[in-house]
Amino acid sequence: MMGDTAGLPPEHTQDAGPACRPERATGMSNAPTLLDRYRLMVTMRAFEEACAQGIPTGELRGELHLADGQEAVAAGMAGALRSDDWMVSTHRCHQHAIVKGVPLEEMMAEIYERVTGLSRGKGGHVHLFDMEHRFSVTGIVGSSLPVALGHAYACRLDNSDSIAIGITGDGGTNTGQFHETMNMAAIWRLPLVILVENNHYAISVPAEEVIAGRGIAERAEAYGAWGRRVDGTDVDEVAVAFAQAVGHARGGNGPALLEAVCFRFRGHYEGDIDHYRKTVVKRRMREEGDPLTIVRRRLLERGEVDETEIAEVESEARGRVRDILQKVRETPGPDAVEAFRDVFAEVPA
Amino acid sequence: MSGNGAGRQQNISQLIAETIGMEMERDPGIVFLGEDIGYSGGTFGASRDLFRRFGEWRVRDTPISEMGFAGMAVGLAMSGWRPLVEIMFVDFIGVCLEPVYNAIAKNRYMSGGRVAMPVTIRAAGGCIGVAAQHSQTLWGMLAHLPGLKVVAPSNPHDYRGLLAASIESEDPVIVIEHKDAYLRKTTEFPLGTEIPSGRYTVPLGKANVVRRGGDLTLATLSTMVEKSLAAAEVLQTDGIGVEVIDLRSVVPLDDATVTDSVARTGRLLVVDEDYLSFGLSGELVARVVENLGPTVVKGVSRLANPDLPIPAALSLEREVIPNEDRILSAARTIVASG
Ligand SMILES: Cc1ncc(C[n+]2csc(CCOP(=O)(O)OP(=O)(O)O)c2C)c(N)n1
Ligand SMILES: [Mg+2]
Repeated sequence: MMGDTAGLPPEHTQDAGPACRPERATGMSNAPTLLDRYRLMVTMRAFEEACAQGIPTGELRGELHLADGQEAVAAGMAGALRSDDWMVSTHRCHQHAIVKGVPLEEMMAEIYERVTGLSRGKGGHVHLFDMEHRFSVTGIVGSSLPVALGHAYACRLDNSDSIAIGITGDGGTNTGQFHETMNMAAIWRLPLVILVENNHYAISVPAEEVIAGRGIAERAEAYGAWGRRVDGTDVDEVAVAFAQAVGHARGGNGPALLEAVCFRFRGHYEGDIDHYRKTVVKRRMREEGDPLTIVRRRLLERGEVDETEIAEVESEARGRVRDILQKVRETPGPDAVEAFRDVFAEVPA
Repeated sequence: MSGNGAGRQQNISQLIAETIGMEMERDPGIVFLGEDIGYSGGTFGASRDLFRRFGEWRVRDTPISEMGFAGMAVGLAMSGWRPLVEIMFVDFIGVCLEPVYNAIAKNRYMSGGRVAMPVTIRAAGGCIGVAAQHSQTLWGMLAHLPGLKVVAPSNPHDYRGLLAASIESEDPVIVIEHKDAYLRKTTEFPLGTEIPSGRYTVPLGKANVVRRGGDLTLATLSTMVEKSLAAAEVLQTDGIGVEVIDLRSVVPLDDATVTDSVARTGRLLVVDEDYLSFGLSGELVARVVENLGPTVVKGVSRLANPDLPIPAALSLEREVIPNEDRILSAARTIVASG
């Protein structure tokens, strides 16, 4: 963990990492192909649909926030994201966990509150923790950012070239933590990327009505940080911009703020009647802004793969998720004693 | 081992700073965050010299961003470090209660035991004439939240031993230091003036019976221990034997030690510098009565802040905060009533 921590760690000046680079998250290569990203995105879509299946059956109670439509943002992180980087996500977290390499089965089991889940069913869908894959979630909007800041601080203390990625929605950028995190990351030049998924809404409140100034990405300037906005429905654009943001942060230049503009296809949570968005708008965003359709079309246009190969990728990814769901459904929930465990590590005799 | 290992004329804030220094030397994973802990050595002097010794990356002067740096502690802990966070006045914890009670307190549980949160929060509490927003103790409120251990030392020996135990603990601990103690010499205290020269810890959750007596059990903590001891001295001359118990921590609450005592004395008085309702005093009385049954317990009484914001004027503060006089009269009343 710690080297000589008593003094100031040497300046991080390198642009790339050390010669022997740690593994990519999700086991992907350094430079995933578009087809690799597409596979990831199909998996994400299938995963969300498998979660949604638990609602009508009553298997899942409580709120479930799905991210259909936002796949390009998460899949755009593949490649630049390393397995030794830290990620802290939000209530809309499944896709982020997938790109970070969190095992699908343990995650699904946790979402379905089963004993084989990441937390043996005690966390649930907005409290996923997987320290092995350096991933965690908080259900409190904005609070992901200071936690990511702590990871970034730890990266400096460790003298490592790992970075932290703190994710938030557009709504989360109106919290005090957003400001506090940007400020502290900037004054201490911490290796932090703040990724904002701007899906235009915080539940029912439109971003443009509640965010002052020219935009979210523009806020970076106030902190002397790197800032950029991209089309979050285009996985290639996200990938390029995210790699730049990561390069900036890993290079010891302080925080980077990347705003990815995207659409949330479903309601805020499963059960949201979503009456604040016009039906025609919702239809259009699915028709014109579906990141999966965009990639599929691009793959075919480039002629690198044909329909059959694409269909194979799709059915393989969907089949994998289907098998996982079935296995999870056959798994029991936690024993009653589990409720009383893990409050403290040490209980007085 | 005896004889003020800390030696010399030292006050509590120096003792705390020295303890933190010992812990940071022992465990290079400790990172200290807070406002004015670096350059200035602490608003109350409880981190003096640490910045020079450990450097800015381990002793970090933060901006006034409690929510940010309390949340940072969560990430640091998950990354394998052991954050020590100073909240200058415990009253300010409202600003960052979110990471404290939703993450620091719950991450172990929500992760099914896979995430450790060895975070220590130090905060100054208690009355020294600084009115409603800078005088609270709040240990009752913090103790109400599952997943946090809450400690409030009363004497020099425990200021060191409980803090060292808290920092060493795998669990999150909030240590509430009394502002009245910081500038007092360790030798001036009526108890705990003997400080071993080597490192030691005082286990969390073990109350300390600081005076024996057969007529009344008086359970308290922090600076009220001294006031209670002074009152017990006076009561002895009236022929009333008071057993004074220093609880040391609110969580874990050592109700077993109090129960054993009340089993002999039959009476319990809880003296608490926190608010009266929904807090430590009611909790302790309830547990003891549950443990012993109503027939063994002849009388219970509580002396605490009567649910009022703490006023600025000294004459009014005296009306609100327990003191030796009111402890005396509460004790006499409960003993007289059967
Ligand atoms: C501090 C806090 N306030 C309110 C909520 C309730 N809440 C959950 S999600 C949400 C909207 C968040 O919007 P945004 O950050 O844009 O993320 P999105 O849901 O669009 O992904 C709100 C208000 C919360 N979880 N935490
Ligand atoms: Mg949003």
